[in-house]
Amino acid sequence: MLRVNNISKKFGQIEVLHDISLTVEKKSIFGLAGPSGSGKSTFLRCIQKLESVDSGTIEYGGKAGFMFQDFQLFPHMTVLENVIYAPKLHDKTKDHTIRAFSILEDLGIVDKTKVYPNTLSGGQKQRVALARSLMMQPQLLLCDEPTSGLDVATTLDVVSLLESIRQRDVTMVIASHDLDFLTKVSDHIVILKGGEIISQVNPKTLKNPINYLKHYY
Amino acid sequence: MEELISHLLFIGRGIVLTLQLLSGGLLLGLVLGTILSILRYNGIAVGILNRIISICRGTPLILQLSFVYFAIPGFIGTKLDVSTAGIITFGLNSSAYIAEILRAGIESLPKGQFEAAKTLHIPSFHLWKDIILPQVIQHVLPAMINESIALLKETALIATIGGMDLMRKAQILGAEQFTYFMPLCIAGGYYYALVLFIETVGKKIETRGYYVKS
Ligand SMILES: Nc1ncnc2c1ncn2[C@@H]1O[C@H](COP(=O)(O)OP(=O)(O)OP(=O)(O)O)[C@@H](O)[C@H]1O
Ligand SMILES: [Mg+2]
Repeated sequence: MLRVNNISKKFGQIEVLHDISLTVEKKSIFGLAGPSGSGKSTFLRCIQKLESVDSGTIEYGGKAGFMFQDFQLFPHMTVLENVIYAPKLHDKTKDHTIRAFSILEDLGIVDKTKVYPNTLSGGQKQRVALARSLMMQPQLLLCDEPTSGLDVATTLDVVSLLESIRQRDVTMVIASHDLDFLTKVSDHIVILKGGEIISQVNPKTLKNPINYLKHYY
Repeated sequence: MEELISHLLFIGRGIVLTLQLLSGGLLLGLVLGTILSILRYNGIAVGILNRIISICRGTPLILQLSFVYFAIPGFIGTKLDVSTAGIITFGLNSSAYIAEILRAGIESLPKGQFEAAKTLHIPSFHLWKDIILPQVIQHVLPAMINESIALLKETALIATIGGMDLMRKAQILGAEQFTYFMPLCIAGGYYYALVLFIETVGKKIETRGYYVKS
């Protein structure tokens, strides 16, 4: 589904990603761990082409969607407008409202369609951002720190939320600091450090994956 | 009393030109200023545009007005009427200030708004029209109101090329009456009333602000 071949990325003189290669299977949830500044966000941004790479290639089928850490909802649009604005531009002939309502319903925020983003909680904003991405029918979803700023209960909601998105045939790559969350949600985890992959694990095969991951920090 | 009313009416006729210059100049300024700031944001002709903006802000407006009215017709071969010359000059001049105001507004938006639009494949025209400018305008409204008030006061310069605006009418009346006190007070009253009007409309739009920056 996603194949990354030997990518490197420099900001000025500093090499932030160094010769990274990995393959992500279809419908899997792929975790990116690693200390602050290790290049997790940069890696996701390269996949989404928000940053250019200096060398290497990135291949995937279909469209990619991106979940920003701070959601980046459009503050002057209601929840429904946020969600259907882009699909409406791309296909004027269709009525996207029904699909939007169905996605918002699945994400449990269908009662918020008429409000502006500033009245939503962090968890609700995230669901709106997720709905906005899903409206574009991505095959690949890139999530940068999806649990930052969420409490424990909401974080668990995110785990089941992402599980349900996987059922829509979406492959996911998730960058996170939250090892507990990451081991719960991912099929596979790579640890980035200094822009290189220093380890890869399948958390389901380890007895204590969090401790295992921690010793790389 | 009757005399006062006739003075009010005499000077008041100048308001037509004043309003023409204000609205025409503001409209032209907004359109050009927006185009300038979008071009600049996209890195198009930045050097030239910055120079133009800097010249517009760095030379006397009265000189610019004379230039457009007296010097430009020599090049293009037709005479411009006073109000056209005024609208062009005030529009160009305020576009330079408006471009700067918009630049600050655009820079105050999180870069993520542009990036989110990119991930949703929103084309550039719609990005600016529906995502960026509506937010920017909300942010820069107070500065825009200041610019409108400044422009209103600057339209009085039209008298220097013979425009019959509020100011010129007051001067004419003053010369006829051998006293400038009343005529200038009346013109001042008109200007101030217009300023209050702009401020009230501005406040209305501002408080109508449908969302709070989150
Ligand atoms: N636009 C940029 N210009 C210059 N340097 C940058 C830029 N973006 C990121 N960097 C640098 O690249 C390195 C990796 O940053 P990145 O944000 O990818 O790390 P991260 O693993 O996501 O960190 P965190 O866990 O704190 O989110 C950091 O040293 C950062 O300073
Ligand atoms: Mg990051």
